[in-house]
Amino acid sequence: MVVRSPGGDDEASWVLGLRRGEPAAFDAVFAGYRRRLYSYLVRMTRRRDVAEDLLQETFLRLAQHAARLEPKTRLGAWLFTVAHRLVVSWARAQSVRNQLAGDLPRREAVGDERSPLEALADSQAQLALERAFAALPPAYREVALLVGVEGLPPAEVAQILGQTPEAVRQRLARARTQLAEALGEHAPASWRAP
Amino acid sequence: MTYDDDAAKLTELGRELAGIDLDAASAARIAHRARRDVGRGPSLVRFIEPAIATALVTSYLVWAIARVFEAFP
Repeated sequence: MVVRSPGGDDEASWVLGLRRGEPAAFDAVFAGYRRRLYSYLVRMTRRRDVAEDLLQETFLRLAQHAARLEPKTRLGAWLFTVAHRLVVSWARAQSVRNQLAGDLPRREAVGDERSPLEALADSQAQLALERAFAALPPAYREVALLVGVEGLPPAEVAQILGQTPEAVRQRLARARTQLAEALGEHAPASWRAP
Repeated sequence: MTYDDDAAKLTELGRELAGIDLDAASAARIAHRARRDVGRGPSLVRFIEPAIATALVTSYLVWAIARVFEAFP
């Protein structure tokens, strides 16, 4: 699934509408980006309930910031920047919570039970793919999702993540290597050595 | 490997990932909640706490200065 950004004219008119406080412009942006953002958030947090909360917060911030958007705002980059920051904040809070929990017993993974994300997979290849993405370190997974699924250019991804384009390139290369290893026989034919 | 090569390979893989969407009711609830705020700016609630703190500090300062003037007229 590769979903590219809406056309430039669409984006410009949406930004104009948002700056004017038009609910119809918000509806158009919501329809255009909801699925993309939600997919990204679910794959980053691995929890649908958290992803839903973060999606709501992302669009609330867009609504509250609408009048102050620059006319040339790239909505995709803007929304993914907010979503990325929310994921980082959530991950930090999770980390603190886990540290505070200390020695409390944790729920063990049950055998071959599928996560809700993996349950979406309708073939062995897709299941392997979901698992390979889920196994990536979050920093690599994020770059792989933003570039591979969203089709965003490195400069824009670097801007979203607050990294240099070179760092993004390195993460992407490492993500690709790790995905190839994790996928093994499920990797696309073009991924295998000639 | 170049960046373009890595990006092309990842894009090829990304096509295979299933899209994930919200259920319609949740999507409608989120849209409804956020749409109300379009063009209204941040909620006023966000400003109430600092406003109360500012008012308390200011009134305390005024009271303290008044006491100083009373002591040293």
